[in-house]
Formats: sequence, structure tokens, C-alpha cells
Amino acid sequence: MTTYAAEYLELLPERTPGRVSSAVRRELGRLVSEGGLISEPAQLRTYECDGLTGYRVTPALVVLPATTEEVAAVVRVCGREGIPFVARGAGTGLSGGSLPVADGIVIGLARMRQVLNVDVANQRAVVQPGVTNAGISAAVAQHDLYFAPDPSSQIVCTIGGNVAENSGGAHCLKYGFTTNHVYALTFVCPDGSVVTLGGDALDTVGPDLRAVVLGSEGTLGIVTEITVRLLRKPESVRTLVADFPDAEHAGNAVSDIIAAGIIPAAVEMLDTLAIEACEKAVQAGYTIGSAAALVVELDGVLAEVEAEFERVQEICRHNASIHIRIANDPIERAKVWKGRKAAFAAMGRISPDYFVQDGVIPRTKLGATLKRIDEMSRQAGLRVANVFHAGDGNLHPLVLYDSAVAGEADRAEHLATAIVELCVEQGGSITGEHGVGSDKACSMLKMFSAEDLTVMARVRAAFDPEGICNPGKVLPTPRLCGERPGPYRPHPLEAAGIIERL
Amino acid sequence: MTIADRDTDGDTHGDTHGDTHGDPITAERPTTVAEAADLIRATDEPLLFRGAGTKQSWGGWPAPATVVETTNLTRLLAHNPADMTVAVEAGMPLRDLQEVLSKEGQWLALDPPSEAAGATIGGLLATGDSGPRRLRYGGLRDLVIGVTLVMADGMVARAGGKVIKNVAGYDLTKMMYGSLGTLAFIAEVVLRLHPRPDTSTTATLDCSVQQATDLAVALLASPLEPSAVDWVQSHSDPEAGGHLAVRFEGTAAGVAAQRDAAQDLLSRLAGAAQWHADDEETTLWAELAAEQRRGPDVTAASAATLPTRTPDVASELAEAAATAGATAQLACRPALGLHTAAFTGPDDAVARAFESWRASVLDAGTGASVLLRDRPAEVDARVDAMGPPPASVVLLRSLKRRLDPDGRCAPGRLGSWC
Repeated sequence: MTTYAAEYLELLPERTPGRVSSAVRRELGRLVSEGGLISEPAQLRTYECDGLTGYRVTPALVVLPATTEEVAAVVRVCGREGIPFVARGAGTGLSGGSLPVADGIVIGLARMRQVLNVDVANQRAVVQPGVTNAGISAAVAQHDLYFAPDPSSQIVCTIGGNVAENSGGAHCLKYGFTTNHVYALTFVCPDGSVVTLGGDALDTVGPDLRAVVLGSEGTLGIVTEITVRLLRKPESVRTLVADFPDAEHAGNAVSDIIAAGIIPAAVEMLDTLAIEACEKAVQAGYTIGSAAALVVELDGVLAEVEAEFERVQEICRHNASIHIRIANDPIERAKVWKGRKAAFAAMGRISPDYFVQDGVIPRTKLGATLKRIDEMSRQAGLRVANVFHAGDGNLHPLVLYDSAVAGEADRAEHLATAIVELCVEQGGSITGEHGVGSDKACSMLKMFSAEDLTVMARVRAAFDPEGICNPGKVLPTPRLCGERPGPYRPHPLEAAGIIERL
Repeated sequence: MTIADRDTDGDTHGDTHGDTHGDPITAERPTTVAEAADLIRATDEPLLFRGAGTKQSWGGWPAPATVVETTNLTRLLAHNPADMTVAVEAGMPLRDLQEVLSKEGQWLALDPPSEAAGATIGGLLATGDSGPRRLRYGGLRDLVIGVTLVMADGMVARAGGKVIKNVAGYDLTKMMYGSLGTLAFIAEVVLRLHPRPDTSTTATLDCSVQQATDLAVALLASPLEPSAVDWVQSHSDPEAGGHLAVRFEGTAAGVAAQRDAAQDLLSRLAGAAQWHADDEETTLWAELAAEQRRGPDVTAASAATLPTRTPDVASELAEAAATAGATAQLACRPALGLHTAAFTGPDDAVARAFESWRASVLDAGTGASVLLRDRPAEVDARVDAMGPPPASVVLLRSLKRRLDPDGRCAPGRLGSWC
């Protein structure tokens, strides 16, 4: 069986992109308000990658429109000229979703950062895409409201990026993802027309196009306004950190909590390496040397939370928890979360380099999968730290390596890819929240059949028939992946010296 | 290919004749996904996908077509209680699924009024139907995690997955929500589950639509977590009166505490409440569900608006009905901003009342939507079922062209929009 259907290849043709000529540059300069055009080579390099720093491409031009109309005007020119464009928020994405296209344009939305409207009674806010995730909650905190999705990068990442990636976070086991918290999108189509998808009301008539755009990683168009759902802050929040003699006991505790009919707001697991790194970085009070720690948070109605919090402690003790630390006030709780959310960056404290991986397994396969990752880690001779959202089986193995050691980066990347493919074998997914982007487009072939991908390509073509909107992301192509995907081979662009990895 | 169960007279199926205007139809009942794909591939006739047939009239009435039923696609494919997920064939009736899940203390957190009529998971996803407890658990849109589709050309495609958290590829699962059978045949669905709450209690009282809305807004602003707030008009003037029901679920301690706190709020904003539990509570909600489903002689339409627009929706309905000479009654979920209107009276008057109500709801300019659900053929002939398309219809048409280029899936269902 060939990897790609013939129709798929027709739907995603290789096109010679239009050229960003000096005339185009001048025209775009007139379309965006002052300061909205970046063409100095040194400045352009600021935009050459996102949070996946291993892939770098310098764009031909960066524009920073200030309004929906400006975005639409820029996109219209791109459409007319056949110039590929990539939308960009804060550039914190970890899958290379906003990696520029060579000779293309980056449309940065950082200047669109206004909270346009807060409807307290209806618990909705209309925001521009450059507002940060935490900024939304800050803007409505005075009304006891907040925006539930909370990716670890929430202080800097933008809602536009959250919409593109359908971001989750530690609390999505109970509260869902960005797609569950967005009512309406103002959407600039790849031909420059502007439409509203969804509405202020809960339901629209007809297929849910808003849901298609959510999580489409910027490949269908550009979102310039978002109506988000706000939630009332819970009456009570209780958080604990429980240490366990090994990951298996910690995993069993999670299973028992779920089996008891409790849906925690969050359940996070850190292994001993992750604990060590976090403590070195932020001194959040985790027990160094503990084999595994669970962070369990419950929220909701006070009486309910209190009773269930007792029950969770019993379950932890029953599963041989050695030590339970209870965060008794918001400051203590913030400290626990600071440690957890700093986990990725903290790896720098225990390793010169590391890959952040993102995969999902059915939660019940946790024990078996961790064992397998451990074996793979030994075989590769590389350390793997594990931080994950244990409630929903979203693993974030961190593959540690030293790029100064010849060949180690390649082995690390190979191991990271093997881990995510292990997740697919276990019935899971190649990504729970970081997205496919450039990084995992080829792994899509492990998860989806040629037919599945063909239907996705049809959807893409329905929105972007010319293929100018963030091309090369999400959907694999033979040019990116080769006809038959397999173990890691150098990226063709790498071989050509166009991009380089860490 | 084995021969799918085939039914050409439709007599064995209660409402087959009500599916389309005009000619008799052929019903195919594939027993596997592959069979469904084979039969869809083998014909170039128009297709109408059907589960239990409880909502065939939603949207525009489709033209005559080969009916592909999910009657024989009712298997439970996998239930992993510890993972809180279940995979089913699309023809699985919701009530059957709930029965299986209840053995593990779980449920699909969805309680649409059509459950008792045998509504299937596939049909519920295609119609986006939901029930009162959407307030707490979200709609089916929020509960689906994966889907298997058969496209109009017979291609079988999967999207999403078996795990709750997954962002790989386009969300074609949610794309099917509300698609009314116009994009593809839904063959299998994977769902996330919830634990069944230990305890439940419901407060009822009589109040106006304004009071009900004020109460709903106050509940949303409070730390209370009601799982449902329903109001049903009981008087021709919605300001004069209706029945309100507010439900709380959870642990015994949590429900008791919420009941105490809600008591104050209720009496301050709406009046003294009566509390119901157990069978009495179940009956009460079954009766409220029946209000939402009136049978084929009644013209019914749903609307979605901002929650605070609820009293306006009610007065606009009363005015539209009075002006047209029809009778109308409203059932609302004021905390969600979801409304169902039932119209009765002379066909002309009903048609005028519906269209004028729709126009006023849509004109409010807050991204509202209105969907015509049930109506007799005489009323159907007098209305534009879909009404004016939104600006995004351009994308809808483009999607339809790519996924169903020959327009085979439910032709006419989205009326002028497609």
C-alpha cells in the first residue's frame, strides 16, 4: 500500500510560491498601520522559529497588522500573489506550527491585544488574538470569572495560538480544551474575506465550522477575534502533593480516584528526575528523591470538595503514599503549580539539552507504557524525565541529551519519535496538546490511514484551495516525509542546509 | 459484500413515510461499516442517513432518497470503564447505551428529550440535540472524541481517537455536530463518559420568564453548580407564568449544601420552591422533556441566544403568535440561552408566526440561531425552512462541494444554504 492516496497528493500540490517583490513589500507597507512591517534581516530572524527551536526558517517578510481589516487586506494580497503566509501569536508553540515558510510572510498578531468586551451576566468576553491566555482571566477576575484552559505557557501564550492549537493544560481533564470554551470566531479566509464562525449563542445551524478551525493550527485561515466562554471561579480549591515509592503506585492511585467517581480538576505526575529538575529551578517544595509525585487538585462546591479531598488522601495512603503535602492557602498552591509548570524549562538544570515530547495513551496503559519508555531509555543510553497529565494519559517525556556529544542529538530525537509512536500503538495519540505542526506531520502517517488523511486534505482544500495558508503543517507530504515513513532520517530541508536542528 | 437488510416498502418502520415528500423510498440497513461503504459506493442516488428517525424533519425537508439506516449498526465496540470512554456503532440507541454504562456507575452525560423515543448516538451527533443537563456537562459536541465516517464516495475515514485528550488532525468529529446528515454517514462514535452522580435533587416553582432568567443569571454568577435550569411557559403570557425546575447533582454532602444555598436565592428572586428527589424527580424531568417533543402536528423550532435575551425571545414569540393569529408556547433553558417554541393554529398563521419570530430572534444581532424542527406538510409548504444564510455559508458550501461534490447527502436538508 502506498502511503498517500492519489487524490491526497492532488489536493496538496507542490506549488511555486509567489515572490515577495519590492512592489508587494511597498503595497503591504501601505496596508498596515505604522510599525507593522518588518523586513530588516536581523529583525526577521526573531521570527525564524517558535518554541520548537530546532526548526528555523527566515521568512521573507513579517507584517504586524493592527485590525481585522488589516489582516484581511494582507491576506488578500497573499492570495492574489500566491504568497504563503503563517499566522503567529507569541511563538511559544512546541510543534513548529508557526515555523515560517521560506519566501513566505509571517502575519504576527501581537499588536491585536485588546479585550474588546466583557459580558459579565452572560459570562462571555470578546478578545483579540494577541491577548495572553492569563490576560483574559486577569481582565475578568474582578467579576469572579476566569478562562479555564491553562497551558503551562499561559503567562505569555496568546488566545489566538490557543485557538490554533486547541490548547489544553493541567485542568482539561475536568474542564476540556479551548474548543470547549469558544463560542465565536471572526475568521479571515485565505481569500481575504471575513466571516463569523459560531455565534454568541451556544449553537449554530449546520455543521460546526468553528470546531473545524479550532485546533487546525493556522492551516485554514486567520482568527482575528474570539468570543470566549468564562467560568465562575469555583467556591473551593484544594491541592495536595503525594509522594509514592514508584510510578506504578502513583498510577494506581489515579485509577482509584477516577474509579471512586471523582473527577479531579487536575492530576499531574512527576517522576524523580522531573522532581529534581523542578526543585533545582524553583524550589517548589517537592520531595527530592521521591520516585514519583502526584499533584491532585479538586475544585467545586465547598462541601463536595472537602468530602472528596478526604477520600483522595485515603486513596493515596492506600496506595502506599509515603508523604502527603497539603497546600493550605493560595500562596502554597501557587508554589506547587509553579514547580509543575516550570518543569519543561527546569530540565536545563539537569541536562544541557532536551526534547519535550507530547503523546497520549489510554490512562489504564500508564504502567506498561512507563515501563516500556524506561527500557527504551536504557537501550538508547539517554535519560528520560517524565512529567504528565496523569488524569487523561497525556505524557510529556523529556528526552535529555548533550548536543556536544556527537550523535547524541540524533539518538535523542529518534527516541522521542519512538516514544510517541509507542503511544499510538497503545491506542493513543501523537499529540495531546502541543499540536502536529512541522514536528509531527510525518507521525500523522502512524496514526491515520491514507483515507483519513485524504478527507482531512479535502477539508483543508475547502478552506484554502490554493494551499497558501501555513503550508507544510499538520498534513504530511512526500517531500517532508518521504513516500514511506520510518525511523528518523535527516529532514530533506536539513540535508539541503535550509533548516537545522538543535 | 453480504446483502444488507433491505426494506422497500417502509411499512415495518413507523415513520418511514414521514421522511420525505413524495415517492416511496428504499431503506438499506448495513450491518457493518464496510457494508455501509459498499452500498454508498455502489449507487449514485441521493442518500438520506437515518438513526431512529426521530428528527428527520429538522432543517429543510430532504428530497426523496435512498435511506441508509443504522438500525443494524448498534454494537458496543469497546467500553473501558477505567478510561471513562466508550466506542459504539452509530445506531446504538442512547437509552441502551446508558443501561450498559450504568452497570459501571457511569453514563454518557447527555439527556435529550428524544432519548425515550429511541434516539441513536449517530443521530444525536448529526442533529446536535441535547437536554437540560447540558448546563453542567456540555453538549454532545463536548463529549465526542472520535468518529468513523463513510463519505459520499464510499471512503471510510476516521478522525479523533480513543483518548479524551488528542489534538492530532482536524476535528472532523465535532464538524459532524449539527451537520444533519449533509456531509457524511456517521458509522461509529467514540465518547467520553462521566461517573453517575450519587445524589440528585430538583427545586420547582412557578415564575415568569423574567424571574427565571434573573435566577439563571444569579445561579451562573454564584458558586453553585446547578446541572439544569428549565422553564416552561404555562400561561399564554410568558410574563404571567411558567414552571421552573432547577437541578443539583453530586455527592450527598454537596447536594445538601447547594440546596441550602439555592433555597435563599430562589426565594429572593422567584418564590418558595418545592424540592423533589427519586422517582418523583425522574417523572418531573420526563414530563419536562415531553414538553420539548410534541408530535408531527405541532410546528416546533429551536433557538439559541445569549442567556439574558431569554425574556425578549419569549415576548417576541408571544407577539409574533398574536399578530399572526397562532398560539405559541415556549420552553427555555435560560442559563444556556436555548429555547424551543411550539406553534399551533391555522397553517398560514403558524407559518407567519414562525417566520416572524425567527426574524426577530435573528435580528437581535448577537449571533443567534433558529432551527425549524417539526411541522406538518401544510406548514412546511408555507415556510422557508432554513431562513437567511449566515455569511459563513460560503465556507459551508465549499466544504459541501469538497466532501459531497454531487450533493448526494440529504439533498434539500439545509435548503438554500447548500
